[in-house]
Amino acid sequence: MDDIFQDEIVRAEGLKKVFTLSRKQQKIEKTGLTRKVAVDGLSFSAYRGEIYGLLGPNGAGKTTTLRMLSTLIKPDGGDAYILGHSILKEPAMVRDCVGFLTSELKLEAFFTPDYLFDFFGAMHGVDKDTLASRKKELFSRFGIDRFAQVKVGDLSTGMKQKVSLVISIVHDPDVLIFDEPTNGLDVLTAKVVTDFLAELKGMGKSIILSTHIFSLVEKLCDRVGVIIDGKMAQEGSLQALCGEKSLEERFFEIYHSLKGEIV
Amino acid sequence: MKLLALIKKEFYRFFHDPKLIVTILLPGIIIFLIYNVIGAFMNETEPVNYDYKVCVAGTSATSGAFTALVGEAVKESDSKVEFTVSTAEEGKAAVEKGEADACLVFSENFGEAAGGSVEIYYDGARDASSSFYGIASAVLQASAMRFAVVGHNFETTENLGKTVFAGLLPFLVAIFIFSACMSVTLESVAGEKERGTLATILATSAKRHEIALGKILPLSCISALGAASSFLGVALSLPKLVGTGFGVLGGYAFGHYALLFLLILSIVPLIVSAIACVSTLSRSVKEASAYTSVIMILVMVVSILSIFLSSLGNWYVAVPVLNAVISMGKVLGGELAIWQSLVSVGANLLYTALLVFLISKMFSSERIMFGK
Ligand SMILES: Nc1ncnc2c1ncn2[C@@H]1O[C@H](COP(=O)(O)OP(=O)(O)OP(=O)(O)O)[C@@H](O)[C@H]1O
Ligand SMILES: [Mg+2]
Repeated sequence: MDDIFQDEIVRAEGLKKVFTLSRKQQKIEKTGLTRKVAVDGLSFSAYRGEIYGLLGPNGAGKTTTLRMLSTLIKPDGGDAYILGHSILKEPAMVRDCVGFLTSELKLEAFFTPDYLFDFFGAMHGVDKDTLASRKKELFSRFGIDRFAQVKVGDLSTGMKQKVSLVISIVHDPDVLIFDEPTNGLDVLTAKVVTDFLAELKGMGKSIILSTHIFSLVEKLCDRVGVIIDGKMAQEGSLQALCGEKSLEERFFEIYHSLKGEIV
Repeated sequence: MKLLALIKKEFYRFFHDPKLIVTILLPGIIIFLIYNVIGAFMNETEPVNYDYKVCVAGTSATSGAFTALVGEAVKESDSKVEFTVSTAEEGKAAVEKGEADACLVFSENFGEAAGGSVEIYYDGARDASSSFYGIASAVLQASAMRFAVVGHNFETTENLGKTVFAGLLPFLVAIFIFSACMSVTLESVAGEKERGTLATILATSAKRHEIALGKILPLSCISALGAASSFLGVALSLPKLVGTGFGVLGGYAFGHYALLFLLILSIVPLIVSAIACVSTLSRSVKEASAYTSVIMILVMVVSILSIFLSSLGNWYVAVPVLNAVISMGKVLGGELAIWQSLVSVGANLLYTALLVFLISKMFSSERIMFGK
């Protein structure tokens, strides 16, 4: 039992998030309801050393789930444990053992990657020597040393994403949470990112990522959870979930069985 | 040491951006230039040669030597002076009626023992009179003996211009402090929130109060620089602008400067945290500027009112900003208002602490930081 728990790096138990909609949001969402259940009792587990993919259509609640896991927002129901730390009760502990990457978290354009790496290292309480050697290693590994002294504002989108990735793991977290890591990147940069993720997995990190891109899941993920309307529709290893079919086919089967035929 | 890293980052941001440095320091320089130009215009009259008529009352063994010294100084300014011995009452009446320009009243022990004093009665509304007061008080103060120089000004409301100007100085200082705080804080707090860079810091394990302090402390220092620049601009130009007869910023003791400095220092973090507060609540810099201009109007109204409210008892020490403005007015008027100033400073620091606490609470609020 103990052993199993050790290997269970992330465990979500009935996570729930309800947003109260303002008038303006009601208009945008074309609804008269004042409350929107974004995540509805979501449970899943991710194990050490695997890449877990949260797959779902727009508005399924992927980002909301990952924001809860990384303690940016609090769940209205349920709880989740990261390396045994509750996201509700020990948010500071959780923040130190996860690295979070999402388009919502931006790097200040004025600073250089070099400065920001040191700054966020200090923010996570990493000591100077460790920080210096990590910076050297990561910067050369991902080719950031070429533009380490260029202000972030002057970098290209791909360079920025690389810097964001490296800074999200400045404190050497065991768990990495990536929201749509290849969103808005061209195929080349996207490949750099997916290679990076594979490499991180090779380093023994556990990764949870969200995406709506089937190929990304097929290429990277060990296990998948399909989220529809804030609920876990299907979960399992890629093999168990799809069998002989392609992920895309399986996804539409699941979707139709839940929502009926779509237009 | 997360706090240290946060503070360093804020300073780094500021001191490596020439644009920001200029926006902070420019107001002071501009004020200095403008006031000097205006001052040059206003005082462009030929140097006036006066023929002072001065009554002297009460004599001591050394008073004669001092009147002689004053006479020397008057000669140096190409004017003449005629001393008439009279009683104190006659002399004062003469000054009030305009028949004499000033009246010197020496105490019996003047110049002999500590505690001796000389009173100078004059009328600040008359150029000759205030000019003589300037010369005489300078001479008397420059002497090494220990005695008090007490000036009595018969100036009435006729000369509203100068009084309003004296009252206006704390108001101007408050406004300059505010604008210095505003540019820095809006950019750093509302700007970072809008750009999503504050969220990145909130995603780290740094404590929320560290993040709040990591903003307020460095921003206050930077704003204080800006405020100091504006204040220096005003202080250095005022004597030029209003001529010599106006004694503001002249003849102050160290205590006056210390109090002024403390008072200014106490409103800077208060205003910075107030702006940081509304910036945290706002979604964008634009929204934050709108709220900030409301605070600015409040501060302006309060500082203008201070001219009328200063005589209404000591309750003002509890009102943020107003307390510092009124105390500054008192100190500038020559009064060493120690306890009012210190209580004001304390009250302002207390309000600042409350606001910092509030900001760190807001940083933990998901609705405020991450609501849409
Ligand atoms: N702050 C908020 N206030 C109100 N509603 C919200 C808020 N954040 C998300 N929602 C709603 O919750 C639902 C889930 O949003 P979420 O961003 O988690 O979806 P997603 O799976 O990440 O979608 P996408 O693929 O478009 O990124 C959506 O209907 C969204 O409109
Ligand atoms: Mg999303």
